[in-house]
Amino acid sequence: MRRAHWALLVFPLFTLPLHAQDLFAERIRPLLEKRCASCHNPEAKMSGLDVTSRGGLLRGGKQGADLVPGKSAESRVYQFVAARKMPPTEALPTAETEALRQWIDAGAEWSGPASIHKQRARAGADWWALQPPQPQTVPAIDGFTNPIDAFLAHKLREKGLAFAPRAGERTLLRRLAFSMKGLPPSAAELSQPFPAALEAALASPQYGERWGRHWLDVARFGETDGGEHNNERFTAWKYRDWVIDALNRDMPYDEFVRQQVAGDVLYPGDPKATAATGFLVTGPWDSVTKQINKDKLMAMSIRQDELDDMVTATMASFMGLTVNCARCHDHKFDPIPTRDYYRLAAVFHGVTYGERAVATEDQKTQRKQLVEPIERELKTVRSDLAAIEDAPRARLLREKYLLFDRSRGEAARRLPVNPIWNRERLAPSTTKRLRMIITAHQGKLARIDRLEVMPASHVISNWTANAAASAESPAILEIELPAPWTVYEFIWSTDAARGSRDGMPKVYRIEASTDGQTWKEIGSSMDHDSDVEVLLPEVTPEELRASIPAGERARWQTLLAQRDKLDAQLRAIPALPSVHAAYPEPMRPAFVLHRGSISKPGEPAAPGALSAISAIDANLAGPDADDATRRTALARWLTDRRNPLLARVIVNRVWFWHFGNGIVNTPSDFGFNGDRPSHPELLDWLAAEFMSHGWSLKWLHRQILTSQAWQQSSQHNEKAFALDASNRWLWHMPLKRMDAEMLRDSILASAGNLNPERGGPSYLLQKKAAGGSYMHKALDNDSPEVWRRAVYRFVVRGGERIFLDSFDCPDPAVATPQRSVSNTPVQALTLLNNKFVLNQAKLLATQLEKSAADPVAAAYDRLFQRQPSTREREIATRFVTQHGLALYLRALWNTNEFVYVP
Amino acid sequence: MSRSPHTPLRTPLTRRQWLWEVGGGALGIGLAQLANAKPHFAPKAKRAIFIFLPGGISHIDTFDYKPALASNHGKETKGANTITPFFGKRGTVMRSPWEFSRHGKSGAWVSTMLPHLAGCVDDLTFIHSMVSRSNSHGPAMFQMSTGFVFQGFPSVGAWISYGLGSENENLPAFVVLPDPRGLPPGGVAHWGNGFLPAAHQGVIFGKQEEPIADIHPQAGVSEAAQAATYDLVTQLNEEHLRANPGEDALVARIRAYELAARMQLSAPEVTDVSGESEKTRASYGLNDPELRNYGYNCLLARRLLEKGVRVIQMYNGGHFGKPRINWDAHEDLVTNHGKLARVMDQPTAALIRDLKQRGMLDDTLIVWTTEFGRLPISEGLGEGGRDHNPEGYTSFLCGAGLKRGFHYGATDELGYKAEVNPTTVYDLHATALHLLGLDHTRLTYYHNGLQRRLTDVHGHVLTELLA
Repeated sequence: MRRAHWALLVFPLFTLPLHAQDLFAERIRPLLEKRCASCHNPEAKMSGLDVTSRGGLLRGGKQGADLVPGKSAESRVYQFVAARKMPPTEALPTAETEALRQWIDAGAEWSGPASIHKQRARAGADWWALQPPQPQTVPAIDGFTNPIDAFLAHKLREKGLAFAPRAGERTLLRRLAFSMKGLPPSAAELSQPFPAALEAALASPQYGERWGRHWLDVARFGETDGGEHNNERFTAWKYRDWVIDALNRDMPYDEFVRQQVAGDVLYPGDPKATAATGFLVTGPWDSVTKQINKDKLMAMSIRQDELDDMVTATMASFMGLTVNCARCHDHKFDPIPTRDYYRLAAVFHGVTYGERAVATEDQKTQRKQLVEPIERELKTVRSDLAAIEDAPRARLLREKYLLFDRSRGEAARRLPVNPIWNRERLAPSTTKRLRMIITAHQGKLARIDRLEVMPASHVISNWTANAAASAESPAILEIELPAPWTVYEFIWSTDAARGSRDGMPKVYRIEASTDGQTWKEIGSSMDHDSDVEVLLPEVTPEELRASIPAGERARWQTLLAQRDKLDAQLRAIPALPSVHAAYPEPMRPAFVLHRGSISKPGEPAAPGALSAISAIDANLAGPDADDATRRTALARWLTDRRNPLLARVIVNRVWFWHFGNGIVNTPSDFGFNGDRPSHPELLDWLAAEFMSHGWSLKWLHRQILTSQAWQQSSQHNEKAFALDASNRWLWHMPLKRMDAEMLRDSILASAGNLNPERGGPSYLLQKKAAGGSYMHKALDNDSPEVWRRAVYRFVVRGGERIFLDSFDCPDPAVATPQRSVSNTPVQALTLLNNKFVLNQAKLLATQLEKSAADPVAAAYDRLFQRQPSTREREIATRFVTQHGLALYLRALWNTNEFVYVP
Repeated sequence: MSRSPHTPLRTPLTRRQWLWEVGGGALGIGLAQLANAKPHFAPKAKRAIFIFLPGGISHIDTFDYKPALASNHGKETKGANTITPFFGKRGTVMRSPWEFSRHGKSGAWVSTMLPHLAGCVDDLTFIHSMVSRSNSHGPAMFQMSTGFVFQGFPSVGAWISYGLGSENENLPAFVVLPDPRGLPPGGVAHWGNGFLPAAHQGVIFGKQEEPIADIHPQAGVSEAAQAATYDLVTQLNEEHLRANPGEDALVARIRAYELAARMQLSAPEVTDVSGESEKTRASYGLNDPELRNYGYNCLLARRLLEKGVRVIQMYNGGHFGKPRINWDAHEDLVTNHGKLARVMDQPTAALIRDLKQRGMLDDTLIVWTTEFGRLPISEGLGEGGRDHNPEGYTSFLCGAGLKRGFHYGATDELGYKAEVNPTTVYDLHATALHLLGLDHTRLTYYHNGLQRRLTDVHGHVLTELLA
């Protein structure tokens, strides 16, 4: 090892006299393996070339032989490398290029195994998911009219398996209601024949609420920034409403995608289309590092993180690819070079996070016309009020501060600095010269109207600094006493008489000097409490009223009434509409960053898409293109019918949500590290048909829900289980535990307390605590107002725990293409003991006791849509007699029958 | 160990697992099915507690003694040595307001701020050269909690729970003891399960009356009614199971209710400290109104570790509002650190001594850390605070498998940058996992295209620290 280093130091590597065989083994073989073989191997054969054997190189690619032994200048492989055309992402180091030349010129000797091709450890451009869906012939199997069934039955038969028998009508109708609407079926719904019920479910607004929630998981939808300050995004709900509405209207999926990437620029002036771009910026965002940080490099890297979130979300949600893995190095498993990643990031260079006004010019002018006259009038009224109020208020405050200060005692810190009355306790010093050094203040110039030095009264009056003060150039008030005194206290104010003039010093220190040369600090603003730690006393309206001269009181009252009226008028004018959505960001040049480092920019990155999808031009726009051009081009590229992934990925997601198993079980990763399709032909057939049926999701649901596969029962089958425990071949419909939202909604619905209000601002279950904490505390506000569907709750990142969290409801810091389904004692405790559940149980009990002749039968009807058996009745009667109906209902909501969708 | 990318992600229990786990009856299947549950090699530590001090405790005023601060007091940092603060104004070099002296046989320098911990130094393993990837609380804290500067990745505790499972099914494997003064920013994300199954999320143990949220029935539900409810649910579930045979998930859920009933009994037992001796209570500061809350958490931590809780995340320092009640001493170091240290020092030292006296230090790992240190300069001219310093700070470990009274790494003359053996959070995590018998490169979980790790693609076990 050490010797090799020494050799390196002495001879440049390419002059090392390596034996030809050693040269191949030590230099060339690793070079071919590492730099070339991932694309040019017998499987991928990009440009027809295979470099993993000497024969392959001699045969060459589409343009002819690539290797001419002994003649590097004529060998295409060397020409491309020397011209830095290959490898496409990063040119070879000179030493490697040189070694390649030597090897060819020395006869291109090959040693060791004839082929260095290894079992595929990564995907190339020939990866299945990157090929266009192939036209499929539906297997002809008797008895299956729905092609879905034909494809599935074909595979089942191969394994000697079959579908479970069709589920009963009641089960099907329940399954339909829970799957499509996320709610238990009503009595009317249960009396419909299945086909009619299916159409009704698809047409109902609850369909969008249920399936919108699925999409919001993929989109990582959240309504706070996350991170340290975790600020709210009070208009982010408009994206959620857009999603629900789009699904209910069965917006073609390609359009659904286009609007989320570029709605604002495709349909300028349409606030809804702008809201759709909420998708790009609904992820977590580090506002602190972005806005407060002084470290420029750190701020730039945060910007890169913003872009990363947009690229990651776009490519994972729509394309099912983990492009983000290519941020620091070429993707290790999929054919996605780093260059592609930065070209995709360049698409979003004009976008950042923010609250975007979606008001038209007319709306703005209108509002201005309404607001301006009121504001003018209000200004006059306020100044008239101040003329009457300020002096009496300041007088009252001064008395209160004095008393308060005295009550706190000498050991306490000083009161918060205020304009009216401040007392400094100084380290006693005998001195003639003092100074107050002010480094921060309110208003334009620091001002002190009166400063009194104790013990003997030496007064400075009406001092104003001659320039704005800062730490670098403080304002200095110099005091020269008539004789050396032992000073221990100052009393000072900025505007003792009215408390309304600005200029109050906020940060200062007081120094003393005996010789005028050296100064010693004897007090400072740090001796005071801050106004968030200690609240200063205030004047009550009654006190103020009593202290206003009787002659002015009537006018004062009139002015107050005027002010309140004007304030109310202003508040009544609606704010201009805005939405948390793609927010314009000044465009900066984009680069490929070496190893993902912001301090190592490489070649410029023009907006582009994935180079591995060769069917569509990946060059999206020129380097100078504006934001609209960039995103419109990406939206077009994504929704181009030749895109092999867009349709496959969404049909697979829908499939996954229906069956609890995907055709591909990694819905956001169709790459090498993801799952392989269980039924590739079915996937391609569904994708192709989906596109030819106008990208209609409702068509897709209909196709799935009318299949025997979807309608089969959940019956267990020992033989099938032994062969396929994970139900990959769909030999039955698995029972599915309700997800968090469905559980909460279904408890409310079966209790008859679900508030049906749709859309609009989210209701809060957590709220940022007052007092400066950034914590979103769980609210104690269980009431009809929050008994709306869970999809309408305000989604807080990292808030205090709520009911939903126990049931795998994700904190949307990252996308959740599939939710985990865990089963824990804590979950049981929540469903059993949480206040929300008991409260609903009590409400329902009261209602049933009042109105139902047979409360147990009524409860079974509401929760399970069936009648209790004789035995169940007996069990119920015994329990209800002893412990009451409410606790009985609570227990029913805890049963497996309730929490599992059949 | 790791999940193969080709297995479906929501594999239900296989028949074999079902027979083993339910038939054997030894383990709760709900938890066991989702865990890795075995160390990779013989562990030194069976359990761990992470003590986190939000806000960033100053290393140069506690354990990292820098005489040069005093000799350079009031001087500006210039040229290449200029120190850029995070958001405050640049000040001048500021000496520590606390005196330092040597302690223990190891002669460790500790300031007068921490008299109790000073008595423990011979048992501690210091890293004086920690570096953080961010100078901002949020990302830096996320990195310490999850390995990543972004929110949403599994926490250290969740990884350990996933890696080792639980030793006591009647209590959660991963317990969180928040500071009663408030949660760190990001809240539950610091002990979240991220993309790991929810069974691995940290469970908050709160006040004595209600150790776990929803552990007790609401007022008005009698013990008899609660017991009858458990019976009723089980009875109905068993009926339902007869109609739906072969469904493992249904069995698992029946079992979860049994465990819940047991947890309802065992959690209050562990939080009831009334049986502890007066001497113990006093040592943890339970008689001091200021120390009581954190002291109780420290004592509870010991009791939980004794009962087989695998990993605890404990906080000292409240939320990030105003006034400052965590270690973020921007304005006034003396008051801020003075007040907080009084609360942190004695109970933390009591916990270390108590574990030692019970022999538990031999198989327990303690990690004491913060998100970053503080700058050697004042925040603004003549001001008394210090701004954030991600370039160098101190953490300590203590317990199983470690060299005791040992010091690793060093910062520069002023305590600004880690100069000797700069140590990343990844290294700290890799070392903690190593002591617990887990190889940080092999403890993985597939998520969105990657076999994810706590340490991403980084991290080295700090072998020099190992005994």
